[in-house]
Amino acid sequence: MKNTFTQSMAWLHTWAGLIFGWLLFAIFATGTLAVFDSEIDNWMRPEVRSHDLTQLQAAQRGLAYLTQHAPGASNWNISLPDARSPGLQVASGERRRGGGTALDPHTGEPIEVRETAGGSFFFRFHFTLNLPRNWGIFVVGALAIVMLVGLVSGIVIHKKIFKEFFTFRPGKGQRSWLDFHNASAVLLLPFHLMITYTGLVIFLLIYMPAAVDALFEGDNQAYYKAQGEQRLLTPRAALKQPAALVDLAPVLASAQERLGAISSIGISNPGTAAARIEVRPTLGYRIALSKGQAMVFDGVSGELLRDVPDMRPAVLTQRVMAGLHFAQFGGYPMRWLYFVCALVSTAMIGTGLVLFCVKRRRKYASASVSAQRWYKVAESFNVAFVAGLMLACAGLLWANRLLPVELAQRANWEVKAFFAVWLLSLLHAGLRPAQRAWAEQLGLAAVLCIGLPVLGALTAQHDPAHRVLEATSVVLGGLLAYAAWRCVAPREEKPARKRATVAVEGQ
Amino acid sequence: MSNTRPVWLLIVSRAAAALLGGYAFSYAATAFLARVLPMPAVDAVIVASLPSFAFYTCAFLWAFASRDALRAWWPAALAVPLAAVGFWPQLWSL
Repeated sequence: MKNTFTQSMAWLHTWAGLIFGWLLFAIFATGTLAVFDSEIDNWMRPEVRSHDLTQLQAAQRGLAYLTQHAPGASNWNISLPDARSPGLQVASGERRRGGGTALDPHTGEPIEVRETAGGSFFFRFHFTLNLPRNWGIFVVGALAIVMLVGLVSGIVIHKKIFKEFFTFRPGKGQRSWLDFHNASAVLLLPFHLMITYTGLVIFLLIYMPAAVDALFEGDNQAYYKAQGEQRLLTPRAALKQPAALVDLAPVLASAQERLGAISSIGISNPGTAAARIEVRPTLGYRIALSKGQAMVFDGVSGELLRDVPDMRPAVLTQRVMAGLHFAQFGGYPMRWLYFVCALVSTAMIGTGLVLFCVKRRRKYASASVSAQRWYKVAESFNVAFVAGLMLACAGLLWANRLLPVELAQRANWEVKAFFAVWLLSLLHAGLRPAQRAWAEQLGLAAVLCIGLPVLGALTAQHDPAHRVLEATSVVLGGLLAYAAWRCVAPREEKPARKRATVAVEGQ
Repeated sequence: MSNTRPVWLLIVSRAAAALLGGYAFSYAATAFLARVLPMPAVDAVIVASLPSFAFYTCAFLWAFASRDALRAWWPAALAVPLAAVGFWPQLWSL
């Protein structure tokens, strides 16, 4: 667009960064929260209490419930509690995974759990922006490509990368924003690149079906078959033959020895000689994403019929890349590392957006009316997409506890509350002077975050498992409060004013 | 391109070259790679697809870095021969 390569990259970085940075900020911010989706889920379902039962004990409660209440069902599913989540759920019939009835793992009796969008809202929003699933995946995919473009063009325009490692000049207005944007980008550049690229790899064949189109005539099923995905056939004759289910204890023990913690157990054709027990690992038992993997046991003899499959090197590569994005491996230390890195990524995008406006504030002050109007739009969007989104995220947690528990379609109302807060923040940003809008929205978000433990204590029985989340919320609220305070503190004008006085004196 | 065209038209053209042309290029390059890589088809699918987003990024950057707005469409033009190799059995049977 401009004369030199660096200039054209700077132009692209600036404008693509502004227009797409608004949604990218939302994707990165909700992705950061999604690192702790289960923990947020737990907080949003306070009826599910923490306990210290083993997975086997919980599985046996679930099994007893299903034997009593769904003896004739073709499939049973038991979702087990693990280190991250205390919930025990059972389901029967064709609906095999997810949902179902929540049980008290102590008594095996059903418990009333509030309907909620849950922490999984942030997870789904992160890769679909709450659009219809397929649309959302493609919009987010396109944004991820723009993110890669932003990263590469950013590298091009900042040649003094090594120097920027050590450069931060706080309290100097535009300079400081630029320094922070550069330093956060450079310090975690490998993380930014990794997380963006691996995000695209998760939906590799959806985004880029070219190779399957060329080699398998676009037939995904044929492709997966060629990968050697073997299916175990159900012995039809044995379906009519009643037989008792094998004791779960040795089956679960051998699976746990191989896979670590178990996420769920599926039992097909229970009560017949054709019974099969499918034991699925939690996603984090290895780096490679283990979604869809399971050990399959004979439900009558307890014999291992199929181990978790070995992956071909190419498949393993793709799965490891997807696993690096899902961040389910390595336990809590790894989860915190991802959380902190993702916070820095989010802050990098946020400061980039702010920088756009800070840099142009003086220029647009003396520009034409239409240019000023456009600048005001950019400023308002910045406030709404950065501060407003954080406000909406905190608002979702508040809505979870404040909406009446018996409300019909409650999960939908929570999501509506999230978007209502976001929309109101845009409205507010349009009406208020930018600096005030920033301070007020950041301040309100800070109040909501810091107030979360109080809200938690007032609206539900205390559960010690929620302490970490509430403490983290207070810390984040503190950071937001600091940001709000810096917005109203009259520091940025100082160097400008000094220069202005000098100019006046010089006249 | 002459300077008489309005700026927004040039930007739209380059953006289209980046988004659509870039996708066409990376799609064709992936099909090409999958076809020519000397390995079983199952592996070729993944090995060819994994770098596709890097191809896309390069084409995207090219669309904005190229000297004039016409050159921005070069990757899209390059997609034609690449796709021809990638899909030659399908073309042959037409």
